[in-house]
Amino acid sequence: MENLEIEATKYTPEILMDIDTGFISISGKSYPENTFDFYESVMKWISEYFDGKAKKETIINLEIIYFNSSSSKLFFDFFDLIEEVGGDNKIEINWIYDEENEFALEIGEDFKEDFKNLNFNIIKK
Amino acid sequence: MNITQIQELVKKDSIVLLMYGGFLSQTLISSMTEALGNKANEDDLTMSDSINIFIIFVELTQNMMSYSKNKERDSTNLKSDGLIIVEKDIKDNYYIHTRNIVDKKDKEIIELKLNEILISSPYKIKEVYKELRISGRDTHKKGGGIGFYEIAKRCKNITFKFKNINENKFYFDFNVEIKIKDKN
Repeated sequence: MENLEIEATKYTPEILMDIDTGFISISGKSYPENTFDFYESVMKWISEYFDGKAKKETIINLEIIYFNSSSSKLFFDFFDLIEEVGGDNKIEINWIYDEENEFALEIGEDFKEDFKNLNFNIIKK
Repeated sequence: MNITQIQELVKKDSIVLLMYGGFLSQTLISSMTEALGNKANEDDLTMSDSINIFIIFVELTQNMMSYSKNKERDSTNLKSDGLIIVEKDIKDNYYIHTRNIVDKKDKEIIELKLNEILISSPYKIKEVYKELRISGRDTHKKGGGIGFYEIAKRCKNITFKFKNINENKFYFDFNVEIKIKDKN
């Protein structure tokens, strides 16, 4: 299993998923044309990582500026997958938002409410 | 579409910030979103107001792009390309208007969904949005589902109408007024 690194574009975020450190970061805008195809490698990586390869602690930093509705659904599925495959692993999710971005705060709060079993922190930049 | 039809969509005494008619691609949508970002900066909009505009713009244009691409596979005589106009009135209200051609079956689905949204409270809209997201019904693959709720969450007013072209084809006109918090 290898690290996953995807550079940001005007409409997709930068993605870094590091198998050696257990650090995951997704940051930027997210409105790809085919959202589920774009994030397929991310979902696959998560499934493989938590299948016996997870570090003692996994830190997931998410800093989404805005997204389209299919990305909203995708991120819901992303957290759902982590809840499902994360097991007893220590996982810290940091939802980072700009204090002027009410959208990012609102969606972070919604996800936190939907995934009460996850260690979900909302952090102002 | 002629100029009279375009004038039907825009308000009097308004400034058209962006207008595009024709085939939509992801690159084009991204460039137009960037152009709107520049305009939002010039207008000193807050980050939250700008983001509301971007989200609604992206949602509508991607819907039209997706619809157009699906329909290209059908052999119809009418093009499925879209028209999109972003305007600002003298009170600095922002509006997005779209027009595209839909068939009768999609008209019925969209009409049902939008009529439901128009009579729903903001609380109900958010509740249904979250329910749809959990259940996976009406995902982007089916089009025009969760996206309309996302738009409704972020705008001040929605109006729409369908206009007959022939027995199976309709113009779908969709108009959104966007909340600009500091100015209204």
